[in-house]
Amino acid sequence: MNRSISYAEAIREATDQALGLSDQVIVLGQLVDTPSGIFGTTTGLAEKHGADRVQDYPVSENLMTAAALGAALTGLRPVVCHQRLDFMIYSMDAITNWLALWRFKSNGKSGVPVTIRAIVGKGWGQGPQHSKSLHAWFAHLPGLRVAMPATAFDAKGLLLESIFGEDPTIIIEGRGLFSMKEEVPEKPYRVRFGKALIRRVGRDATLVALGSMVPPAMRAAEILAQEGISVEVIDPRTISPLDRPAILESVSKTGHLVVAEPGWQSFGAAAEIIAAVAENPASGLKSPPVRVNFPDSHTPMSMALEKLYYPGEQEIAEAVRGTLKKS
Amino acid sequence: MEEALIAQYHPADEMRCPIHFCIGQEAVPAALSLLLKPEDYLFSHHRTHGYYFAKGAPLRELFAEIYGRATGANGGLAGSQDISHTESRFFGGAILAGAVCIAAGAAFGLQHQKAKGISVAGFGEGATDEGAFWEAVNHAGAKSLPILFVVENNRYATFSDQLKRQQTDNIAERVAPFGVKSQSLFGNDAPLVWKTLSQAVNSVRNGSGPMLVEAYTYRWNSHVGPEDDGFNKYRPQREIDFWKRNCPISLLRQKLEKLDWIDNGEVSQMESEIAGEIAECFAFAKASPFPSEANWHSRNFSNATPVADALLAEEESTDFNPSQGEAKLAPY
Repeated sequence: MNRSISYAEAIREATDQALGLSDQVIVLGQLVDTPSGIFGTTTGLAEKHGADRVQDYPVSENLMTAAALGAALTGLRPVVCHQRLDFMIYSMDAITNWLALWRFKSNGKSGVPVTIRAIVGKGWGQGPQHSKSLHAWFAHLPGLRVAMPATAFDAKGLLLESIFGEDPTIIIEGRGLFSMKEEVPEKPYRVRFGKALIRRVGRDATLVALGSMVPPAMRAAEILAQEGISVEVIDPRTISPLDRPAILESVSKTGHLVVAEPGWQSFGAAAEIIAAVAENPASGLKSPPVRVNFPDSHTPMSMALEKLYYPGEQEIAEAVRGTLKKS
Repeated sequence: MEEALIAQYHPADEMRCPIHFCIGQEAVPAALSLLLKPEDYLFSHHRTHGYYFAKGAPLRELFAEIYGRATGANGGLAGSQDISHTESRFFGGAILAGAVCIAAGAAFGLQHQKAKGISVAGFGEGATDEGAFWEAVNHAGAKSLPILFVVENNRYATFSDQLKRQQTDNIAERVAPFGVKSQSLFGNDAPLVWKTLSQAVNSVRNGSGPMLVEAYTYRWNSHVGPEDDGFNKYRPQREIDFWKRNCPISLLRQKLEKLDWIDNGEVSQMESEIAGEIAECFAFAKASPFPSEANWHSRNFSNATPVADALLAEEESTDFNPSQGEAKLAPY
């Protein structure tokens, strides 16, 4: 029997189970051993598994990521936590010059299963330094897997898949999702990388939504259903690897494509998804695809501007209506 | 060996990768080669060749790697500056302090698992310009990690004098406040280098915490490649002449001859054996095939997940209810 638990509880449960399943698993991050525990995702784990396995870390993000790599060479499976993705930027050398290419440059002899959890803030004035979702940057790098779980079920399954997989993985966690609940199996389970989920079956338009855009995309599909528009909602769940075949198959059926991405528009993941469809001669596209993104602007603090900045279900629904009118 | 590589490097143009030759800086890696054990990890800067030997990695695979052949230590993917030999626990890399941080992580991993072995980071004084280096020093001291930092201070980051970049040239003194014991020395006196590193390795091995050894030494060639880069006018001829007079290999030979521990016949025999080994390595590299298959995906990602397969169940997602509101962020 599955219980309904929140996204944050699902992450905590996955981490707890991973620590229990294997001594190789360790958790590193600033304040992971405190009662507040990274928004409740690590609360109590240091008490249960030991402060050496759930370890508070100096504010040395570059070292933390590189050290996780070094620890992985000795057989560990580190989980690195960043309360704000923005701080993780200090570790871009470790990620870009070392972690992403470690397997490649060893000619496949040495793999480094490092999991990096990166939380993206949204709302209550997080502003430009607490809200950046740089998933597209990371997905641009060969050798890195990038997951964007949208629900509690996926948050648990993708985290476990990452911890016990063999490649470095960055998991982008939308802070706004943390309270959302879903039925989640108690046992440890996996969600495969590169396997999209059709969250709603439809025939008139394909709506691909990433990470924190999944709930508003599903609400948009509900709104449109009441107008007689049947929308197929696809959640790729990971953008590296990206399940291009699932998206192509859906578009070949519907002929219309809208992509909702929680990040800036230019050079982003939505552009990549649209390109993957558009460059396929058999895509079946009947109208120009449309992107729903954040504006190409840094995030404003003021609550008045936050409302204008973040697109929601109405903007997504309008985008779908727009593509259908153009056909 | 480096001289033999130089003789072939540009003339034949079959080694098409940057090589940072370590002529003049032989003492530190040579000493480490006598002190490190198979369970130890060694991470090296871009001037990799000496450290590669220090960990006992196979010579012919180094040559094949530089020649870009499939039989190279990394199948021709890494080249001289990025070479690694996983089985020997040797890892090179070109982005300086990043490798020192990884070494700190390996030390943490060994300590955490109460495993045998220590972690050694070999780097130049240029790496200590980078903030990440000090993050590693801080953590090593705070956690008493089993790591040995070895600075080969050759004074120049490419063409930039250390005293243009740093207030003093004594890194050994600067790590002390972090709880990292340290020792500096003339790095071209091979017996002294061996003795100092031997004490340092033993200290780290015995659980006495991290240590840093700063060996003042000098590279003969330009920063990269065998050419003379004197046109950059970054180091005086007098200085070059001083260090060439103090070649670590010549100094060692003079000392051994004086002690009557070695004679010309033995030296000639060693040189001839080494020349034979080098010739065999060249032949192996040149006879080896180039890598041919692209395989880009499997070169960058794993093809199997044995641990996940063993531990995790397959489950299907149930219906998610999207009508729930987002988390309302409490203040902060």
